[in-house]
Amino acid sequence: MIRVVQHRHKCIGCNACVEADKYRWRISKKDGKSTLIGGVEKKGWFSVLVDNDEQAALEAAKQHCPVNIIRYEQLD
Amino acid sequence: MELMAPAGSYEALAAAVKAGANSVYFGVEQLNMRTKSTHNFTMEDLPEIARVCKENGLKSYLTLNTIVYDHDVSLMKRILDETKASGITAVIASDHAVMNYAKKIGVTVHISTQANITNIDTVEFYSAYADVMVMARELSLLQVEAINKEIARREVTGPSGKLVRTEVFGHGALCMAVSGKCYLSLHSHFSSANRGACVQNCRKPYVVMDKDEGTQFEIDNEYIMSAADLCTIDFLDKVIAAGVSVLKIEGRGRAADYVFTTTQCYREAIDAYYDGTFSSEKVADWKERLSTVFNRGFWDGYYLGRKMGEWSDEPGSKATKRKVYIGKGMKYYEGPGIGEFLIEAQNVKVGDELIITGPTTGVVELHLESLRIDDEPAEVAKRGATITFPVNEKIRPSDKLYKLVPVE
Repeated sequence: MIRVVQHRHKCIGCNACVEADKYRWRISKKDGKSTLIGGVEKKGWFSVLVDNDEQAALEAAKQHCPVNIIRYEQLD
Repeated sequence: MELMAPAGSYEALAAAVKAGANSVYFGVEQLNMRTKSTHNFTMEDLPEIARVCKENGLKSYLTLNTIVYDHDVSLMKRILDETKASGITAVIASDHAVMNYAKKIGVTVHISTQANITNIDTVEFYSAYADVMVMARELSLLQVEAINKEIARREVTGPSGKLVRTEVFGHGALCMAVSGKCYLSLHSHFSSANRGACVQNCRKPYVVMDKDEGTQFEIDNEYIMSAADLCTIDFLDKVIAAGVSVLKIEGRGRAADYVFTTTQCYREAIDAYYDGTFSSEKVADWKERLSTVFNRGFWDGYYLGRKMGEWSDEPGSKATKRKVYIGKGMKYYEGPGIGEFLIEAQNVKVGDELIITGPTTGVVELHLESLRIDDEPAEVAKRGATITFPVNEKIRPSDKLYKLVPVE
């Protein structure tokens, strides 16, 4: 499993993470920022556990994020 | 002529008010050209910004001038709705969707420099939406003057029914790309300048490499992509004579002392022009003061007919002074006009040049004539001391105290 973390309030809504994986990221119509699908919020940080097969797309989202707010870690 | 100052924070806003700006511009949320580099205001700040500006007789302009994608439209509309509800004077726009919605709900529109207006026909086109338009920074004053004359001759009026007014950038950082439309940051860091996320890699030193043999040459005489800063104060009379109505100072990412000094110098220069006291002696003084705050060296931009830019020869600022944090404000004794400060870093001594900045205070500059510790006169105060000294205006616990030191 992989834990994905996003510091959402710093998002500038560039859409790069959505381009990397539209099934994991979606731009909110409410505030124009990226939403981590399935993510749960704790003190401004959103996190979710995902399968290992999302690693490549997560890496692309992390690499392309201009404000470096996406991180992930392998749990097993 | 209207003098417009940047406000990237409440400190900068208060500094602009105090220094004599006629208007300020600022951004909220992520749809402005300083999304990444400043502490942006949020929509909740709009009523307070409008209040501060109205109370002090300033106009307030919201920048909403990034590229706007479909997924931004909802946020863009919410920002504009709040802009209208808060009583902000106008929105500075470059995307047609922003202009269209603003017009629909009755928010006054100004056209941003990002729209790259370089001719009278484009002015005529945008006059359906806007009363004020920023001319492309790459135009010469002759070209700007010709556009202004043609606005009058053709009677090009904006939605208000009055002749369209033109605005130019008067001072501050310039982008190496035409009208700021740069792809470099996006290309190297996936961080789009056109979404306010420029990483400023044009400001770095570079090497040229022979790809066949790998020989590298360092370009060490200047930073070939880093434009020097614009300064128009020595030919401000020509700018005004060209029919320009609004002079904008760049720098929403800059600190309050920068906003204060630049705004104050241009305020004095504009006033001097109108009261007939504009002189080369005054220009020399203004330029010296302008060089004390952040700058990459000055040049006259493209206004006097140059076709190619002038580049900086330093990686960062060439400011002749820098501010060093000393401590924070504690109390103000209204009667005698005494400020109390806690020294948290560095020593402070009689004779030092000090700056106090704060979200309400703005900027206060003073020469330290005397100081007291525990109500006893002293020459030097060290870290940990609580000191008092005369300040001719109110200071607050939210204020920070700095001393100005020369840059070696």
